[in-house]
Amino acid sequence: MNDERFGVSTTLVVNGRPVTRSAGGHVTLLRWLRDEADVLDPKYGCGEGVCGACTVLVDGEPASACIVLAAQCEGAAITTAAGLLGDDGEPSPLQRAFHEHHAAQCGFCTPGMLMCAQAMLADGTTRSRDEIREELHGNLCRCTGYQHIVDAIEDAQGAGR
Amino acid sequence: MFVKPFRYVRAASLAEAAHGLREADGGARVLAGGQSLLPMMNLGLLDLDAVIDVSHVDEARGVAEDDGYLRIGALTRHREVQADPLVTSRQPLLASAAGRVGSSRIRARGTLGGSLAHSDPAAELPLAMIALGATYEVTDGTATRTVRADEFHVSYFTTDLAPDELLAEVRVPTLGPGWGWGFQEVSRRPGDFAIVAAAALVRLADGEIVESRLALGGVSERALRLGAVESSVTGARAGQLEERIGPIEGLDPVTDTSATADHRRHLARVLSVRALADASRRAEEAA
Amino acid sequence: MNDEIRTSKLDELRVVHQPLARHDAAEKIAGSTRFAGDLAYAGMLHARLVRSVVPSARLTRRDVSRAAQVPGVVAVLLGEDVPNNEISVDVPGQTIAVGALKARMQILATERVRFHGEPIALVIAEHEDALAEACEAVEVEYEELPVISEPADALAEGAFKIHEGGNLLAEWRIDRGDVDAAFAAADVVIEGAYATQFVDHAYLEPEAGVGWYDDDGVMNLRVATQVVEHYRDVAKILGVPDSKVRVIAPYVGGGFGGKEDMTVEPYLALAVAHTRRPVRMQWTRNESLLARAKRHRNHMTYRTAATNDGTILAQDIEIVSDAGAYAYLSALVLLYSSVHACGPYRLDAARIRATTAYTNNPPTSAFRGFGGMQVVLGYESQMDELAKWLRLDPGEVRKRNALRRGDRLPVGQEIITEVQLAQTIDAVRERAGDKPAPSGPRKAVGRAIASNMQSYGRLVWLNDSAAAWIGFQMDGSLTVRCGVPDIGGGQASSLGQIASEILAVDMDRITVHFGDSALNPLAGTTTATRQLLMSGNATYEAAVMLRDQLLGAVALEIGEPVEAFAMTPAGIAGPAGTTAVTAALQICRRRNVPVEALGTFFGPKGKEVTRDLDGERLFPDFTFGTHLADVEVDLDTGEVKVLRYIAAHDVGRAINPLSVEGQIAGAAVQGIGQALLEEIVMQDGVNLTGGFFQYLIPTAMDVPDIEAIVLESGEGLGPFGARGIGEPPIGPPLAAISSAIADAVGARPTTLPITPERVLECVERGAPSTSPAP
Repeated sequence: MNDERFGVSTTLVVNGRPVTRSAGGHVTLLRWLRDEADVLDPKYGCGEGVCGACTVLVDGEPASACIVLAAQCEGAAITTAAGLLGDDGEPSPLQRAFHEHHAAQCGFCTPGMLMCAQAMLADGTTRSRDEIREELHGNLCRCTGYQHIVDAIEDAQGAGR
Repeated sequence: MFVKPFRYVRAASLAEAAHGLREADGGARVLAGGQSLLPMMNLGLLDLDAVIDVSHVDEARGVAEDDGYLRIGALTRHREVQADPLVTSRQPLLASAAGRVGSSRIRARGTLGGSLAHSDPAAELPLAMIALGATYEVTDGTATRTVRADEFHVSYFTTDLAPDELLAEVRVPTLGPGWGWGFQEVSRRPGDFAIVAAAALVRLADGEIVESRLALGGVSERALRLGAVESSVTGARAGQLEERIGPIEGLDPVTDTSATADHRRHLARVLSVRALADASRRAEEAA
Repeated sequence: MNDEIRTSKLDELRVVHQPLARHDAAEKIAGSTRFAGDLAYAGMLHARLVRSVVPSARLTRRDVSRAAQVPGVVAVLLGEDVPNNEISVDVPGQTIAVGALKARMQILATERVRFHGEPIALVIAEHEDALAEACEAVEVEYEELPVISEPADALAEGAFKIHEGGNLLAEWRIDRGDVDAAFAAADVVIEGAYATQFVDHAYLEPEAGVGWYDDDGVMNLRVATQVVEHYRDVAKILGVPDSKVRVIAPYVGGGFGGKEDMTVEPYLALAVAHTRRPVRMQWTRNESLLARAKRHRNHMTYRTAATNDGTILAQDIEIVSDAGAYAYLSALVLLYSSVHACGPYRLDAARIRATTAYTNNPPTSAFRGFGGMQVVLGYESQMDELAKWLRLDPGEVRKRNALRRGDRLPVGQEIITEVQLAQTIDAVRERAGDKPAPSGPRKAVGRAIASNMQSYGRLVWLNDSAAAWIGFQMDGSLTVRCGVPDIGGGQASSLGQIASEILAVDMDRITVHFGDSALNPLAGTTTATRQLLMSGNATYEAAVMLRDQLLGAVALEIGEPVEAFAMTPAGIAGPAGTTAVTAALQICRRRNVPVEALGTFFGPKGKEVTRDLDGERLFPDFTFGTHLADVEVDLDTGEVKVLRYIAAHDVGRAINPLSVEGQIAGAAVQGIGQALLEEIVMQDGVNLTGGFFQYLIPTAMDVPDIEAIVLESGEGLGPFGARGIGEPPIGPPLAAISSAIADAVGARPTTLPITPERVLECVERGAPSTSPAP
């Protein structure tokens, strides 16, 4: 049993890169990624697991990183929006779709939205616009009114990408 | 966001977790899915010395069928309960309730035991358990005891658990022949916490209700079985429910930022009628 | 045609009016944009505020000694540690005999707190982890004072004084024509009382920033803000020259007016000045909901006099708004409410009395719509009630009364541009088709339209101006510098488009540096839907100057009249051929012609206002539009589902059509949120709304697609004839939704948000119409 106040050593594979850091047991996955691993794209928006600005994939599953402890995830693969880019930094087809459909205004919710969308595409289901909206329920946006985001996901889904 | 540091402890078994709780002497909480615990932590509502993570414990998972019961491990995730073929076929009310917890993201991590131990009076799973007459197996690492659901859920976020006990297993009666089920809930936005929820089971004979079970969440400090309403609908056909069910007595709902107490009372009746109607319809189809 | 208006033919535009993806979008989608909370410095400290837990009290004891002992704490500051512990904003329009009354607030309260959440102490620590314990260890004792929760109570005789000068903060009056005669002559008088709630901006990015001293001893603050000019306010607080403070606005994660006043700036500056180290501050969502200034809660009473054919003769309107504990921009917001109170309609007589009073509620200030929004509920509800009473078509009644160019608003302002209100009404109706049928026996469907007007550009007597600098690089690429903050509406990107259009440089060869008070010409606030008008025009000016400089130099070189030359993507085209831009730049060099230009645009001017508002021109211009909503009501639970939502606005010219549609959709969804879901719930001055689990904004499941219809009259005062579109679409949803519910159930909701409880009250009062109207 691990039992330290500070210095719980956690190893996570972040966007394909293994990262090992010691941090307090109380440190959330969100804070660990931002403060320990220098991965800044998941954002703090509420700390309640409601707004989705911190959404990342944990072993392929979307999770609100602000309500998961980093230590809980020991060994997991974590994917963030930056991890969707190609090796040459090129945007993924999903990211291109976001771009074409003007799905980002202020951009703060965008990394979380992308991860939720990525999980949708990864399970291979073809969803209607209403079903896409249902999956996006846990990701709030205050700028776009959502539909350009739905357009982008529908497009990415339809193109089989 | 600003949290006082605490220890993270990973338990390999429920017994280890119980031991950890005893050692921490009230300063520790169990972490399963974290979907209720961590928001409270981030809002500064908890003062913890340690968190004991049971999410990697191998035991206490999965669904099995016994004689007339389903046995479900406390660490089974909502999503698994919702989709399990035994649950969908043998107790679909429970599958429906599990499928309504939060969002798909919450259902992927949240656990049955976690939701039951949290004991939110409006939550779907405690409500379903009380409606179904489920029992819980509770362990302190050495001894196990059985508690009825309606005795386990005591009040707002308060259960019968001793400081060093955990939920290990839930025993849910299966749906017998001739029974139909219904589950209704209302929230401010789709997928939010329920304001009021109703779980109903009905057995028909010649299109009339012979037996029923009705429970409501969000109308008191815990989910309530409504025996009086059950009596009043005995002998009713589905189309007569509206007139048989009057204003419901014995509720003491709160007024909060989601809804007024009066509105909750109003919804209690509306959802009771709807849930019983759904249950009757399903009982007909099953016949 | 008014020569203030710059128009251009659509087919001549090359880049403007193209649905280009904004240049900032790529980084946002890659996740690499560094917002204010994303910057970190080695050795950075962390700061957090200790806030009042009661709404109204004298502070009898403040003891930070225990907090200072918590391991990791570097300092705990109180009001006495602030060089000038007061923010003082001279806001014109603060009335009352106290002529010199300024909007004043302490940075850290020393003797008195007036709202739940008011800052008292600032804790600075090495680690974020120390802050929770340290803040708890700060000891504060309160002697509680009376709490005033309602403006009416605040204004009552003998009411407890929240501020020295009394609780009345400001009043505005508008009188036009003979209102009493009009009411006497009227065939019908419609009376209505409407109430709106406290609303939070709820941007996804809570307030945040990082501060540090640079190598020249200049205080640098990189913060989520809509206003870089706050460097002046920070300088005053610190007691240093204005030139010693710099505010940098990175891309902001949503503003909507909530980052228009200072948030973290003073506290960061204090912490940096005290410790001489870099400091970060991040507010929690709870703090943001608790303590950030809200949208004003308004109570509005309307009496509308009309003739039987639906012509409005007069409006008699009373508005009371809740200014909260501190003034901020409440007087100005109320002015907007007053000027907009009658809506986009002609009328000969009006009497408007508007009052705003202090209470112990959270301070209220700027929020998208800025007072012009709440009154839409008033004037559009009245319109629909009038139409219903007279059995006239709601669209026809609006068209009958719609303003036209040359008409004057009750305040006296003349409408100098074309009004396409009728066209927006027709557009939404045509798109909508037939009203859908209800989906079940205990459901009812309703449909309604709502029109509005909203000013763009700031009040003319504020002497608004903006500047922008454009310079060619010697390789023909372009640099644009403008202090405009970009809060997600494509503010920076549009400037690039304008420069590209005039100077014929490709968008990907243009870099826009924005949002820096030290390094960029100041462009004023990103508020009041003014940036396209102001910085857009300033950029336009600079671009035209620069273009003319180049053309002039080349013309001289070649020996032909300058009129014979034009900028094209290939270079400067002339009678004998095309000169490449790089060659032209060399010509400029040789001929001592500058290859950069500073453009300044001065907003229209007008005379200063007094309490009795009367002005030929208060605002530069207005944007007009109409929305249509279809809703379905569950007659048993009171739940409302928005089935369909269409929004049409005349935007003059859409510089970037995708951006314009995005603004319309986003604003409409915010408006729907205010109509149905959002409320900061106060109880005796205590803010009960602790997080996003209680403060409910629309999710993707709460709204349908917003169908945006963009009309382009070409008649705006912005570049290429554009009108502002950031704010206008937020107002109509309040009325479109409430009127649609009224259509469904037969009785009108008059208080926002329209909760299921309020819907059921309406169901009881009215007779549900369960069959679709023909």
